[in-house]
Amino acid sequence: MGIFDDYHSESSFDEVFDSEQNIRDYWKDVLADIEAAGIEKLKKKQADIDWYLEDNGVTYNIYNDDSNPSRSWSLDPIPFVISEQEWSTITKGLQQRAKLLNMILKDIYSEQKLIKDNIIPAEVVFGHKGFATEVFDFGKKENFNLYFYATDMARGPDGKMWVINDKTQAPSGLGYAIENRLTMNSVSKNLYPNINTKKLSFFIEEFKELLSELTGGDISSAALLTPGAYNETYFEHSYLSSFLEINLLQGHDLLSKDGALWLKSLSGLKKINTILRRVDDRFCDPLELKSESRLGIAGLTDAMRQNNINMINPIGSAILENKGLNPFMNKIAEYFLKEELILPQIATWWCGQKKELDFVLANLNKLVIKKIDNTEIIKTYFGKLLSEDELKNLSVLLRKNPNKYIAQEEISFSTAPYYGNGKLEPRNAVIRTFCLKKNDDYTVMNGGLVRVSKIKDSLLISSQKGGTSKDLWILSSEEEDVNYSNILKRDHYTDTAINNISTLRAENLFWLGRYLTRAIDTTRFISLIVKRLTNLYRYEVRTSKDSQKILQDALTHLTMTYPGFLSDGAVPVRPTSEIISVIKDISRSGSLASVISMLSNANINLKDLLAFESSKLFDKMQKEWNEFINRSTNSSILISNELDSLFTYLMAYKQLVNESIFKEQGLILFDIGHRIESALILISKARSMLCVRLKKAESYDVLEAMLNSMESMNAYRAQYKSSLVLENVIEFLILNTQFPKSLAHMTDKLANDFKLLPKSKDYLTSYEKPIFQAQSFLSKLDVETIMEIKDEEVVYLKFDKILSKLSEYFIECSDEFSKTYFSHYDE
Amino acid sequence: MIYTIYHKTSFHYQSIVNFSHNIARLKPKDTAYQKLLEFTMEIEPKVSESHEFVDMFGNTNTHMLIREPHQLLSVTGKSRVEIFPNLIEQHIEFLKSNSITYGAAVERLSKFHASDLSAKQFLFESELIPKGSDAIKEYVLESFHKERDLFEAAHEFMNRIFNDFKFLSGFSDITTPVETIFEAKKGVCQDFAQFAISALRTIGLPAKYMSGYIETLPPEGEEKLFGVDASHAWFAVYIPNAGWAEFDPTNNIIPKEQHILLGSGRDYHDISPLKGVVQSSGNSRLSVMVDVRREKKDLIKESASGQTQMQMQSQMQNQSQQ
Repeated sequence: MGIFDDYHSESSFDEVFDSEQNIRDYWKDVLADIEAAGIEKLKKKQADIDWYLEDNGVTYNIYNDDSNPSRSWSLDPIPFVISEQEWSTITKGLQQRAKLLNMILKDIYSEQKLIKDNIIPAEVVFGHKGFATEVFDFGKKENFNLYFYATDMARGPDGKMWVINDKTQAPSGLGYAIENRLTMNSVSKNLYPNINTKKLSFFIEEFKELLSELTGGDISSAALLTPGAYNETYFEHSYLSSFLEINLLQGHDLLSKDGALWLKSLSGLKKINTILRRVDDRFCDPLELKSESRLGIAGLTDAMRQNNINMINPIGSAILENKGLNPFMNKIAEYFLKEELILPQIATWWCGQKKELDFVLANLNKLVIKKIDNTEIIKTYFGKLLSEDELKNLSVLLRKNPNKYIAQEEISFSTAPYYGNGKLEPRNAVIRTFCLKKNDDYTVMNGGLVRVSKIKDSLLISSQKGGTSKDLWILSSEEEDVNYSNILKRDHYTDTAINNISTLRAENLFWLGRYLTRAIDTTRFISLIVKRLTNLYRYEVRTSKDSQKILQDALTHLTMTYPGFLSDGAVPVRPTSEIISVIKDISRSGSLASVISMLSNANINLKDLLAFESSKLFDKMQKEWNEFINRSTNSSILISNELDSLFTYLMAYKQLVNESIFKEQGLILFDIGHRIESALILISKARSMLCVRLKKAESYDVLEAMLNSMESMNAYRAQYKSSLVLENVIEFLILNTQFPKSLAHMTDKLANDFKLLPKSKDYLTSYEKPIFQAQSFLSKLDVETIMEIKDEEVVYLKFDKILSKLSEYFIECSDEFSKTYFSHYDE
Repeated sequence: MIYTIYHKTSFHYQSIVNFSHNIARLKPKDTAYQKLLEFTMEIEPKVSESHEFVDMFGNTNTHMLIREPHQLLSVTGKSRVEIFPNLIEQHIEFLKSNSITYGAAVERLSKFHASDLSAKQFLFESELIPKGSDAIKEYVLESFHKERDLFEAAHEFMNRIFNDFKFLSGFSDITTPVETIFEAKKGVCQDFAQFAISALRTIGLPAKYMSGYIETLPPEGEEKLFGVDASHAWFAVYIPNAGWAEFDPTNNIIPKEQHILLGSGRDYHDISPLKGVVQSSGNSRLSVMVDVRREKKDLIKESASGQTQMQMQSQMQNQSQQ
């Protein structure tokens, strides 16, 4: 037998071997392939799988883990196999269960016949946290349905698949199941050359059809509502939205008016009539549901009430994630369908009835106790693992609130072979299957997501707690013909056409431009100061110390980390510690660390828009940067090296951003952000460094620093072929319309960019006006007037005033621009 | 008798708000014991759209979208409500004579009884009212013995809250936990109501939060000033076989002709008079002005009662900012 020699399941049922260690018939072909491959090949295939998943950016975020926010997804090279024959029974069972749950949902939120006819106890509904009084009476609505339903199943000791969990409010896992299949496809032709399995594409096609039907044919009015990039399954949200070709939106992307939902896009508001949501029930609407929620849309519930929105699944669906329903499912099946339940469930006792409670209390040490509505954090008590005291406390808990608890028989679920650490081991596995409503029936996906426990014989399986996954294979006697050949070939095109881009995304692009520019310029400037500080005594020149003071003050102005170097406290500011604080102190507004953190935010929110390489690069940079700011050693050389490295990363990242989006699309927003920020930084530096009247040596020093901080020394030399003179530098950096980094040039560019935007008008818009003013203001200036100064004065007051005025124009432009494009309250 | 009620709720925002969704619940409920004769609602600034609906608890909600820049939102409900004291007296008599023991009530509620079903919605912890601690349970059980008549027990329970708790405004707000109120033994009407509800639910009885108004009378010989009233809250407990019995622990009375019901629910959240979601920075402040007066013709003969009702100043804050 070879590689299965050491494989011994302690479970009462193993997927592959029967109790006499004979291979089950439907596993024979797959097993033969595994044995033929051998451990070495499995190892190689595992490595291939890891590579495919990582290359596709498949991640699963772990909450509360800052050091490693996104973890790679893992997949076992050995599939979980189910025979075609067994699957057809399971399919019927799932369809029946989906139908029943839908009927329960509609009944609970309308007539409540189940309660009135004593089929289910009122307590199981009213005492459940998922019962949404706000959608009372919605059950009558034609579009109030359980459209999409996921079921967790595991094989019980009798060899049948048992239902263990119903996922109804916002089921996850479909995206991972598809990606698992695509990844398996890449390795399985070689590993399992002759196995035919049922395909998944049909289900995706059905999903699109459902969306098309609900949207009335215009799928662009559907959206996947995500809690955002920090959600544990965000990968899946962006993945699914691109398969289904619908918008990926967050609550802030939408607003409600006219009793309907509207997408805020750059060109205006666009009606959305169908939402596939991944936000939990209570978080969908801060007006009527959880008021603290920032993930929903105020008014969504009322839009549903006014029949202007379809939801997959509707608010209120959490009531079905209710283990208190289990003991009554047979009665419900009889009541609604006159049928018996096809899929077995774990024996469950609801403690709200006296007889049941007594039984549970008498057998507590053998049972598993759960709350009926623990949908978020699953607190499970395994009676057999509890001490006498713990059992006693548990009985007190049950007596106090019997309605809230159920008890279940403890079941030993089946094991399946898993490849890890160079050998095959039996592991418990749970499969998640998916159903979609189609007319009066349900379509079941021919496959699913299998999760495998992290350790041998683990009682709990959850992606949050670690563990790996498997692909679910439904064997097929013949190769299925797939007509929808391209549906699974994910189109990497994300719609960034300027008119369709969502406001939130546009805003993120704008801020990405601003923060990235700020990060780059700040890094460069600090680096320059640190290097000069290190070389302070190198050149035997006294003046450099005074010019250093000017640069340090300029840093405080530039980063707005006041009082900073401008502090007039009794104790003089120590340059090194102040600079370290401006670099590392993330809690200090304006510090480099705080800018990087905001940049990181914008980056994460744009993850699905930017090239995959850019987020890879950013993650790497972020990791090194975090290590650096948490390290306590602070030698100037180390800091200098670290800043150089950060600078290189940022420049590379900027290049990738520039290459991955077209200008006519979203990139223009990035450019606008970049130009506004550059202009403001240049003005700030000019006010600190060019407005002071200095002696010749000092002046040389400061002008050199100014040009170097903009990487413009060579350009200056080429232009003027003279030594550094203040007049020339001002002319070059402020007035010269030809030099790309000059203020005049950036202002012109900005004015041009604005013309490409969707709300551009024949007349000047509110955000164009200040730029036009800046343009004409600049064009009338000449160096001589700028530099008028009285003999006794030490500051070029007139120049400072001019710069201050220009700064106001840019700030006004930025504010007006944000108002025009990022809020939609006047539309 | 007929009451005229004026109830104005305002949000004052620190910065300008351009877009806000709000829900107002200011329309008094029609019940078997009171009838809404007239109702108007005035909103400042202008509402861009509004939608009225009745929720599961039978309260009328008005969803309003405001799109005019504003720093002050005020919603004023003006109503005329007729109260039927005879019917109330009859109902109380009915409750008394049909009441069952606490033990029998709990036993009956653990079984299926078609007429008890809708009351069971009020049996569970709600957003603002969790189940009480062992100490609360002990406190409430002093009045509720197995063999004791439920109406009498609830009456005594109200009496004890009135005597044991001190009326003190400013100590609490709507988010103050019931346990804190119980430990400090002080608060305002909504605290007493929520405490009682929590305690009753803890011992297995459905209990409802009642929100509305109470008539107050000026000192002898003085004219009543406009707007000196406040909104009020009390509780109702479900007596199987009989119905809902109302008690006002703040004034130690069974609500009769001086209580006007605005709405009821599981707790304050279900019936807050005004709540909204705005996009703005800074804080907001809420102010409330209430006036309740009996229409003249029957004031003369009623004023003999001479009882000065204690009022409450409720912190009607229910505002989230985004």
